[in-house]
Amino acid sequence: MKSILIGALAFGVAACACAQSPDDMNLQIHGYAAQGFLYTTHNDIFYANSSDGSAAWTEAVINVTLQPKPSLRVGVQARYQLLGSKGNDISLDWAAADFTINDDFGVRVGKVKTPWGLFNETQDLDPIYMWALLPQSIYDVTTRESDLAHYGAVAYGKHNLCAQCGNAEFDLWGGEQVVPSSDGQFDDLNASGNGPLNPLEYITFGGALHWKTPIDGLMLGASDADNRPATVTLQGGSEWFAEWNNLSYFGQYTKNKMMFAAEWNRQASVAAVTLTGQPVSAANSDPRSWYAMATYKLTSKLTAGAYDSQYTDHAAPLSTDRFTKDWTISGRYDLNEYLYIKADEHFIDGSALSLDPVRNPNPTPVYRLTALRLGVSF
Amino acid sequence: MKKLSLSILFVIVASLFAARAQAQVLVIANPDFKADSVSKADLHEVFTGSSTSLKASGHVVPVLLKEGPVHVKFLSEYVGQSPTGFVLCWRGAILSGRGTMPKTFESEAAVVDYVARTPGAIGYIGSGTAHDSVKVLAVK
Repeated sequence: MKSILIGALAFGVAACACAQSPDDMNLQIHGYAAQGFLYTTHNDIFYANSSDGSAAWTEAVINVTLQPKPSLRVGVQARYQLLGSKGNDISLDWAAADFTINDDFGVRVGKVKTPWGLFNETQDLDPIYMWALLPQSIYDVTTRESDLAHYGAVAYGKHNLCAQCGNAEFDLWGGEQVVPSSDGQFDDLNASGNGPLNPLEYITFGGALHWKTPIDGLMLGASDADNRPATVTLQGGSEWFAEWNNLSYFGQYTKNKMMFAAEWNRQASVAAVTLTGQPVSAANSDPRSWYAMATYKLTSKLTAGAYDSQYTDHAAPLSTDRFTKDWTISGRYDLNEYLYIKADEHFIDGSALSLDPVRNPNPTPVYRLTALRLGVSF
Repeated sequence: MKKLSLSILFVIVASLFAARAQAQVLVIANPDFKADSVSKADLHEVFTGSSTSLKASGHVVPVLLKEGPVHVKFLSEYVGQSPTGFVLCWRGAILSGRGTMPKTFESEAAVVDYVARTPGAIGYIGSGTAHDSVKVLAVK
């Protein structure tokens, strides 16, 4: 499927672009680079030696977009990423052709961002949000490869409701999700030498609805994705996943200098690991997560914020490995439209998230994380 | 000495009034634009990329100034954002594959020229810039 989609994308560009100059095609190049620093009072987070202070947190993105005609936009985005000892490679974020059918409906095909939740489409775009880290309860940086994008299509549109009802925006998507074998969800298997031999691939489809309410600045929404059963071959066995859903309810309110947002998410799954010479073991999980956040623009360049974020795996045994609670205070300073600095201080209780088993065989459940980012975008 | 001080004071006050007059923002549109007015909410929707059409006028094409007091005032009054926040809003759409940056011009004369020849185009200029070739929209 992937090669067919990329071939169709290339054909579409060639068919429209052959007789036009770059200016006619509205060629645009954008991107960003961000360098981070992590320090934890205990544990080593995000595959980095953060307890000693670590700068192994780097991203760079380049985006090229063409618009050969008003109803067609084609683009590609590539990324370099380093997170602790992981990454240090270049990958394809997305490559898509966007067809606008009319002002209320369009379709995007290729490798496309998956529009679930409040922040999934932008969770990997550091310049766009004020936090050095989005709430990890739902937007876990170690497992985001499994959530960000899929190979397939997104149909999007909007509909004006009655005069006093606001309007509704919708997204419907379908395709194939490809989860690399290095993704954080396989940390335990990789640590025991039974990691996947290939990426996990499964069919996914879903929908999202954003209601821009009649109250100015208030949006309420929901999304649900259905992920079909799949099996991945492991070193010495296999892991099978039953059908599972990714359900989110969210809301955002923006007024003048303030922004409030909240989201609740559940991704219950049933899975089973079969290893040679061992009985089948259940790998079920039922994470129910939420966050509530607020930001305030102190000046045109300085924004402050705070959030409370909680993750609890209701299928896990009772222990500090079952949950992670994170209180965060944060600030962002925009030197100009290109350069910015961010600083987060996280007060964390629980070891369910972000602590890989190799570096943290016996994690300390209560610790602090300082996360700094310096970035440039264009 | 007293006359010199008064003259200087007069020049300063006149300059302040002149600057204020130049920073008055006009919302302009292509001459074939159906509507004669536009609401602040509609301007916010169009210039943040949330909407590509208006009920009374159909498809719209937003046009931007790159910088300057008129640009800052327009963003503050009708979009509710600083220039930096505005650019970041569009970069979010671009980097997530949902949009491209609207046409952006260095000068108000270039904005007028583009709006005059582009169906559906809507932009903004200072009141002191010649604009006979475009339609001025009232903002409700």
